[in-house]
Amino acid sequence: MAYTFRGGIHVDEHKYTSDCPVETLPEPPVVKISMNQNIGATCIPAVSKGDRVLVGQLIGNVPEGALGCPVHSSVSGTVIAIEDQRVSSGAVESVIVIQNDEKNEVADTVVPYTGSIRDLTPEDITERVRLAGIAGMGGAAFPTYAKINSARGKAEYLIVNCAECEPFITADHRLLLEHPEDVVRGVKILMRAVGAPQAYIAVEDNKLNAVKRLRELCGKDGIISVKVMKTKYPQGDERQLIFALTGRELPAGKLPADAGCVIFNAHTCASVYTAIATGMPSVRRIITLSGDCVATPKNLSVPVGTPASCLISYCGGLTKDPEKIISGGPMMGQAQWDTAMPVKKSTSSILILSADYSKKPSTPAVCIRCGRCIKNCPMHLMPAYIAQFVQLDDMKNAEKYGAMSCVECGSCSYNCPGKVEIVQYIRVAKNYIRTEAARMKQAEADAKKADANK
Amino acid sequence: MNKKPNKMGEMPELLTVSPSPHIKTSDSTRSVMIDVLIALLPAYIWGVFMFGIRALVVGVISVAACVIFEALVQKLLKRPVTVSDCSAAVTGLLLAMNVTAAVPLWMPVVGAFFAIVVVKQLFGGIGKNIVNPALAARVFLFSWASEMTTYVAPGNRISSLAVTLGDADVVAGATPLASLGGGTLPEATLGDMFIGNIGGCIGEVSSLLLLLGGVYLLVRRVITWHIPVAYLGTVAVLTYLFPQVTNSLSFMLYELMAGGLIIAAVFMATDYATSPLTPIGRIIYGVGCGVITVLIRYFGGYAEGASFAVLIMNLLVWYLDILGMPKRFGAVKKKKQKKADA
Ligand code: SF4
Ligand code: SF4
Repeated sequence: MAYTFRGGIHVDEHKYTSDCPVETLPEPPVVKISMNQNIGATCIPAVSKGDRVLVGQLIGNVPEGALGCPVHSSVSGTVIAIEDQRVSSGAVESVIVIQNDEKNEVADTVVPYTGSIRDLTPEDITERVRLAGIAGMGGAAFPTYAKINSARGKAEYLIVNCAECEPFITADHRLLLEHPEDVVRGVKILMRAVGAPQAYIAVEDNKLNAVKRLRELCGKDGIISVKVMKTKYPQGDERQLIFALTGRELPAGKLPADAGCVIFNAHTCASVYTAIATGMPSVRRIITLSGDCVATPKNLSVPVGTPASCLISYCGGLTKDPEKIISGGPMMGQAQWDTAMPVKKSTSSILILSADYSKKPSTPAVCIRCGRCIKNCPMHLMPAYIAQFVQLDDMKNAEKYGAMSCVECGSCSYNCPGKVEIVQYIRVAKNYIRTEAARMKQAEADAKKADANK
Repeated sequence: MNKKPNKMGEMPELLTVSPSPHIKTSDSTRSVMIDVLIALLPAYIWGVFMFGIRALVVGVISVAACVIFEALVQKLLKRPVTVSDCSAAVTGLLLAMNVTAAVPLWMPVVGAFFAIVVVKQLFGGIGKNIVNPALAARVFLFSWASEMTTYVAPGNRISSLAVTLGDADVVAGATPLASLGGGTLPEATLGDMFIGNIGGCIGEVSSLLLLLGGVYLLVRRVITWHIPVAYLGTVAVLTYLFPQVTNSLSFMLYELMAGGLIIAAVFMATDYATSPLTPIGRIIYGVGCGVITVLIRYFGGYAEGASFAVLIMNLLVWYLDILGMPKRFGAVKKKKQKKADA
């Protein structure tokens, strides 16, 4: 029996690239490396216009004491600009634009570690992971060193998330097939860093060939075991993974460490291994370029900062008019507004979808009260009611019905026959509730201050 | 959105930036409603076969009237016209299946007006009505009780458009439910009841075909099992435990298949807008429908137990959904929480 959770949905997989070996993208002429690669502080550029940079050289520093990952150059070449760029979320990000000289000269800060992993203390490993700028590569982009620290000594299980439950994406699948040993070595390193006695590698049952390879590598001692998960969305959600594997329910607002678990994405594990073994920081990743507009969808190994347009032309260009460009998966990814958008450390895929995927129904969106969203919600909420309350501008009830527990997986919107944008309504509620809470806090603080000044 | 015309495969001027998810199921309100129509058809066609062309005429009038009224009201209220979602057609067909083939032809029109205009649109349209439109209309039409209860005898196919009430060959003998109420088992055999070789409303007679429709809806995931199973199960248990004739097993089976109970449990009680959304809510609702149906059949004068039961439970849906609110993922029971806090 495959492990699973209650709720969730079956989504058409669209995994066209499962059998496409990872190809290395030819050197892009220009890379644009964002200073906002991950959750945490924006990095401060450590180079200026005109500087020559090498592969693996530090180009962005985390502000003193802040949470965040340093950023490194993914190519060798010259910094031609440091500019502000508006991204589709509306925020402005600072990007370092580097003209690639295609010499691939490696910085002398990149030194392989040849000793045994046992000679490194957990703190040493964490520090190396921090300096390598590794952040969660599954999409959430939480700084990996911080995750290690939050879980050290608390985690009984280290869970490797290889569910890849989003449609289209096959990057992790290919990684598991082509470099499973890197993943497993990374797991061992992370287990030592976190102090977790046991690890589960969780793979969905649509990737049984990867399961076989991993099982061969993990041996039979049971310290690292490969768990086959049912293919269901959102199997890769942290809470659902923990529940499926350990039976523990992690409420909204708590960290996996509170349930004795810590979760790393498969690609993150491999990058940890690479960073320690070769000294090369997080500057490359495997990414799936797919969607019905792409001539030949592929899995590609690309330098961080490569513009999406380079990937598209390498894959033979577009065969249909695109309607949407999505960074990440189709269920939770961000729609982008142009193809200049560069790959980040956390970009697992870029999808180019035609209007076929965003057909508008002939009748207006309205809830017909079918109950599917309630049946499917992995957090066991009542999405239809929350959305209804938001439409009525009744945020109190939206909160009471659990808006803040929503993980924004989109299962509800996906399956709604009434075509209600349920998650979007819930996002509105979450935003409102958060700002309102912040405002209350501020008001309280102000009142206190005023009292003190009296 | 204005887009400059561009060559095939070229980047358009404007891409759509919209919130996730970016892919959706192909199911729509329309596809769900069409599934319901498909599920209803076998039992309806059986009705036409049993009661003649007139049953077809009643159906066509009823469906057409519902669709036309919906379009008219929406035009009048300046709402978008949504007849293409097929929900009005479903109401029309259900209404036709819930009257006898001998009703005067103006009756389905009046019923359609009541269902669509009064019950559905004045409450805000699809998904917002409080009681089931087709059922409410059926009960409303009982204002003309003698017309509504002039049942056609099985196999007595009437084709003439003009039926005079009291025509000897139109009227069926006592309906099975009536004789059950009188404390005797009906003349019709259980097999007749199951196949639908009995008198009654156009679409309610064939238990077999109605159940088949229910199975189709389950397979297509249009409905869940909770309401029909809870409803029929409750009626089965109650009638078995408190039979009104000596043979409690046959009594139970007759009660289940008579008086439109199956069409009510499978198609009426499961109407989306007027039933609870949560599994627990649905079970309580089904049980409630069952209990009220039996009470009305035993103690009320009406044969229409099922219709009234569903309508009464319709009014409690909001409350049942609060009762049925699922336990949130990760939520700890209150008692445990207190212990943990202490
Ligand atoms: S309400 Fe939130 S958690 Fe539940 S299905 Fe919708 S998006 Fe997912
Ligand atoms: S899935 Fe859509 S139509 Fe069905 S209850 Fe939820 S919001 Fe309403």
